[in-house]
Amino acid sequence: MSQLIINIILSFSIFLLIGISFILTYYPTRFFHIAHAITLTFSAYFTYFFSQQLHCQIWLAVLLAIVSATIVGMLSEIVLYKPLRKRNASPLILMIASLGLYTVLQNVISILWGDDTKSIRTGGIKVGNEFLGAYITDIQITTIIICISLLVVYVVFMNRSSIGRNIRAVASNPELSNIMGISSDEVILWAFGIGSALVVVAGILIAFDTDMTPTMSFNWLLYGVVAMIIGGVGSNWGLVGGALLLATAQHLGAYYIGSQWMDAIAYIILILFLIWKPLGFSGKRLKKVEI
Amino acid sequence: MEYLLHIIIMILLYVMLSQSLTLTAGYSGLISLAHAGFYGIGAYTSALLSVHFGFPFLATLPIAMLVSGIIAIVVSTIALRTVDDYFIIITLGIQVVAFSVMNNWMKVTNGPLGIPGIPAISIFGFEFSSKISFLLLTLVLTVIVFYILRNITKSPFGRILIALSEDEIFTKSLGKKVYFAKVASFTIGAMFAAIPGVLYAHYISYIDPTSFTVDESIFILSIVIIGGMRNLWGSAIAAAVLVILPEALRFIGMPSNIAANMRQIIYGLALVVMMFKYSKGFLVKTK
Repeated sequence: MSQLIINIILSFSIFLLIGISFILTYYPTRFFHIAHAITLTFSAYFTYFFSQQLHCQIWLAVLLAIVSATIVGMLSEIVLYKPLRKRNASPLILMIASLGLYTVLQNVISILWGDDTKSIRTGGIKVGNEFLGAYITDIQITTIIICISLLVVYVVFMNRSSIGRNIRAVASNPELSNIMGISSDEVILWAFGIGSALVVVAGILIAFDTDMTPTMSFNWLLYGVVAMIIGGVGSNWGLVGGALLLATAQHLGAYYIGSQWMDAIAYIILILFLIWKPLGFSGKRLKKVEI
Repeated sequence: MEYLLHIIIMILLYVMLSQSLTLTAGYSGLISLAHAGFYGIGAYTSALLSVHFGFPFLATLPIAMLVSGIIAIVVSTIALRTVDDYFIIITLGIQVVAFSVMNNWMKVTNGPLGIPGIPAISIFGFEFSSKISFLLLTLVLTVIVFYILRNITKSPFGRILIALSEDEIFTKSLGKKVYFAKVASFTIGAMFAAIPGVLYAHYISYIDPTSFTVDESIFILSIVIIGGMRNLWGSAIAAAVLVILPEALRFIGMPSNIAANMRQIIYGLALVVMMFKYSKGFLVKTK
């Protein structure tokens, strides 16, 4: 039972981190940045590249990976989305372009590093720490602490810093923000930079816990998206509730039915929410649900 | 020769898949990532019926289409509460659930091990076991599917689909049943996607869930978009090019695993480039 609770808390904190990183890119631009997933994969493979192939110290490898994978995320905004936005592309068009970018980069990773599982864990597999009759590894404790503290930092940042307030301004009305002297392009680039950096942290933590494959990230991203949608877009507490509900449902499902059904459970929850509560937990209006 | 016939058969299967999606995604603007799911539902229904109960092809084909259609009606009535990008997310969900069922429902689908020993198609005692006869059968079905879809898109119903994809509220104001038309278009697309599924199952004689993944859905959608959204001939040509591409790359000496990746890179790039072309939206002229 306590193992179940630990698993729920672990998934919850990762969903939360991926959810807030995704919201940062979604909120000011209003489109699904699917290629966000590939930033996550890149972070894991860059860590592998710097630590195992170039034999850097692990802390240096993590640092270099955070920087270079964040650059990948920001480049996608500069090279792809910004020109498309200048051509008045709708969120649907941006999303399909993003899907294309995801497909391209995922296969680039496959070619560069191969399809097999790569590991950045040093040393053998350690038995976790025992905690109230359940096991939890050091990296899992680190994951939970980092995710929860980044949530706090994120909330403070969005409400107190000028960049955070500019992001919220652009999210509520880009034209008006431009008139008030806030460059929406600059703000969106900031949002992509911070969002990518957060997902990169999540990616490295996941890679330390469960290794990496080129296709590792798609499901993680979609869990974050599902948490965001059932939480109601733009609400921090909604996201926390959404991530908690998703993590609980998945692990209870895994406990009673079988862990292979976790993907299906996530989507069934999403579909149920769209039937009965199309506005999400928080009741804030989702953009296009129900005409 | 056998190899060439195999490639032509695969092209025809993808022509059917992409043309059925052309109706849903191109004409009525319902960009769906669940198409490989319905392809898989067709394949699994036919495989299970013929392996366990010995149903003949002439029975499994309509049953597979019916099963796929019923599932499509159920999921589309839910999914069509949303539009555009949310609709894509929901169809992605349907695709993942469908894959999960194929991959995990061990008792029925045999999970990742797949279903082996699917018999060759036989109609009135004639066995389509040789490649050339199977090719002819596939070609006939492709032509029938093409003919039906072309008539649907030229019919008044097809015009409602085009109208609602361009201005939904206006179409509604003309008294057209928009929601019904959307569900019908999604369902017809899904039913036709079951046909290549049935053919694929009997052709390869073994199916496993890896043939019906999200990547496959993205691939089918790319064919439709590269083919020009509302262009049945265009998607046929795009299907041919994209199926031949990895074979051609292998032919010039690229290792086969990299050739498969290269194909995905090329259609991913094509998607990105096409989005620049369509950046004002998919309102392309039908002629």
